[in-house]
Amino acid sequence: MLVKAKTSLTQRFYIFDIVKGLYITMKNMLFAKKVTIQFPEERRNYSNRYRGLHYIKATNGVENCTACMLCPTVCPAECIHIEAGERPDKEKYPVKFEIDVLRCCFCGMCEEACPKDAIKLSNIYEMTVTQRTIYEKDFLVEQRGSK
Amino acid sequence: MPKCVIDGKEVEFSAGENMVDVAKRAGIEIPVFCYHPGLTVVAQCRMCAVEVEKMPKLQTACSTPVADGMVIKTKSDKVKSHQKSVMEFLLVNHPLDCPICDKSGECDLQDTSYSYGDSNTRYTEERRTYLDLDMGPVIKKSMNRCIHCTRCIRFGDEIAGIREMVAIHRGNSTEISTIDGKPLETEYAGNYADICPTGSLTLKDFRFKKRVWFLKKTKTICEGCSRGCSVELHQDNNVIVRTIARENKEVNKYWICDEGRFHFNSVHNQHRIVAPVVEGSHSDWATAIHRLKTLSANQTVHVLIGTDLTNEEVSAIKMALPKASKTSVFSHFGTPGLTSAAKDEAADALLKRKSKTSNLHGVEKLGIAGFEKFDQSAGLVLVFSGGRAVLPDVSNLGKAKVIGVGVFTDEEAKTFAAVLPATTFAEKSGTIVNFMGIEQKLQAAIRPVGSSKQISEILMLWQNQQGSEGHSNG
Ligand code: SF4
Ligand code: SF4
Ligand code: FES
Repeated sequence: MLVKAKTSLTQRFYIFDIVKGLYITMKNMLFAKKVTIQFPEERRNYSNRYRGLHYIKATNGVENCTACMLCPTVCPAECIHIEAGERPDKEKYPVKFEIDVLRCCFCGMCEEACPKDAIKLSNIYEMTVTQRTIYEKDFLVEQRGSK
Repeated sequence: MPKCVIDGKEVEFSAGENMVDVAKRAGIEIPVFCYHPGLTVVAQCRMCAVEVEKMPKLQTACSTPVADGMVIKTKSDKVKSHQKSVMEFLLVNHPLDCPICDKSGECDLQDTSYSYGDSNTRYTEERRTYLDLDMGPVIKKSMNRCIHCTRCIRFGDEIAGIREMVAIHRGNSTEISTIDGKPLETEYAGNYADICPTGSLTLKDFRFKKRVWFLKKTKTICEGCSRGCSVELHQDNNVIVRTIARENKEVNKYWICDEGRFHFNSVHNQHRIVAPVVEGSHSDWATAIHRLKTLSANQTVHVLIGTDLTNEEVSAIKMALPKASKTSVFSHFGTPGLTSAAKDEAADALLKRKSKTSNLHGVEKLGIAGFEKFDQSAGLVLVFSGGRAVLPDVSNLGKAKVIGVGVFTDEEAKTFAAVLPATTFAEKSGTIVNFMGIEQKLQAAIRPVGSSKQISEILMLWQNQQGSEGHSNG
């Protein structure tokens, strides 16, 4: 059996609650500071510790990475693939350096593990793509980050 | 048995044993660099020093035989501070190469430094550097990483039987090099990389292929010759990347030859047939098995058995054949010019044998005689091979057809009526018998490459199709 809650007369006469609700709506609509932004035109400034898209740092045009494989070792998402090789100016360098960003969980462990300050996570957070993208070395080596 | 006390533990030993070995047996590690159980003792790195009661100075554990009632301390403060100093000395000139060094992850210097050394360095001066000369096709030298333990020099001298590595100059500028910078000559050069406790001598073949911590390791037997050395196959993603020697006091001690070490490359040979072939073109299993069945039914079959097959495979073949054909003749093949196990002898002073296949002695024990000539009445020659055995000439057989079951290259199988790809030593498990009569166990390291199948499986498919003529979707 349904037990009806007892309501007082003022409660049943709910015009007061409507006025109260309208007051909150009006206050926020007309006077409060906006929390959203006009995205493509306006952009937010993220903290330097933000973990966005990867890049490989280069010094004088040469990638810092020596293909030591510590980042694929530590990566919990197993999304980094490196193949090592040798060239005259560098004993060991990454011939291939691929990151499957869709798998990445942006934990930043790769950056932490890197002994060469090579792999970094930048502030870039716009990563929408229309098909599965594997970022290659050439793309990653550009100085894209802000750190 | 005499007893001694190591770190408070009472340990038995037999006369003449050194402290490192005795401690190891008791589960106590004494760090070493220059000591290797297969080489003479020189006691020059000083890393293994331990404290012995009633002896005023620290003693090098590798060169001191244990005496009855000795009380040895391997972890006292005196020993620890000594180990720290030795590590610091060894690392004075050692470059911080670990990120690019292939040894990293299995490096004695790295491990020992981690457990016994100091994580800080006080050394700020310039480090000693060398120019590296080429050492031939097997070994890559990075002299900057060397700690002058002289294991390599002793290996050449004492084991490989050739004095090719020497120490030139003195003191801080000592350099380990081949005589006059010539390339290495020994056929056992890969062992230099195995015994070097640093990344100074590494394998060219393995260079930068994989970091060692990714490797999955399988203990198995080399199939390079009838000695059957104990080896470990290392693979990642079903691709074998290297072979290293495994300790086996009876058979190969600590060493393997280069031929055996690099033999794994044939597993991933791009010319190896890994899918069924019928009359020279790619086919599927059902067609190939059907072909095998029609060609063998009511025929005299000459079965050639490679001496690189395991005992299990050979027995299975011997059991299956009489059911599948009218008559069958068996003979084994493997090394050209070597038709019986009695003629198998040592090919050099160290390990190598004349028979270039692993199971000559086992196959012969199963009652199969060496191949001399083809049976004239045979309508089908059926070749079973593990890929290592060298085929006799089968190109000119008149009316007889040839079918290969096993591992063949495009070139070898050109004239075959069909090829049913089977597995190499790295993909199968089984028993082989070496020249001393020791039975050893092969252990599969990887899954069969491509669509190749185990020989036993092929025999089963073949028999399941018996008596169902024309039916070809087995
Ligand atoms: S951020 Fe984390 S998941 Fe992404 S690549 Fe680096 S280690 Fe892997
Ligand atoms: S090259 Fe290796 S084995 Fe030879 S002396 Fe140097 S550290 Fe020892
Ligand atoms: S291992 Fe004993 S002195 Fe080198």
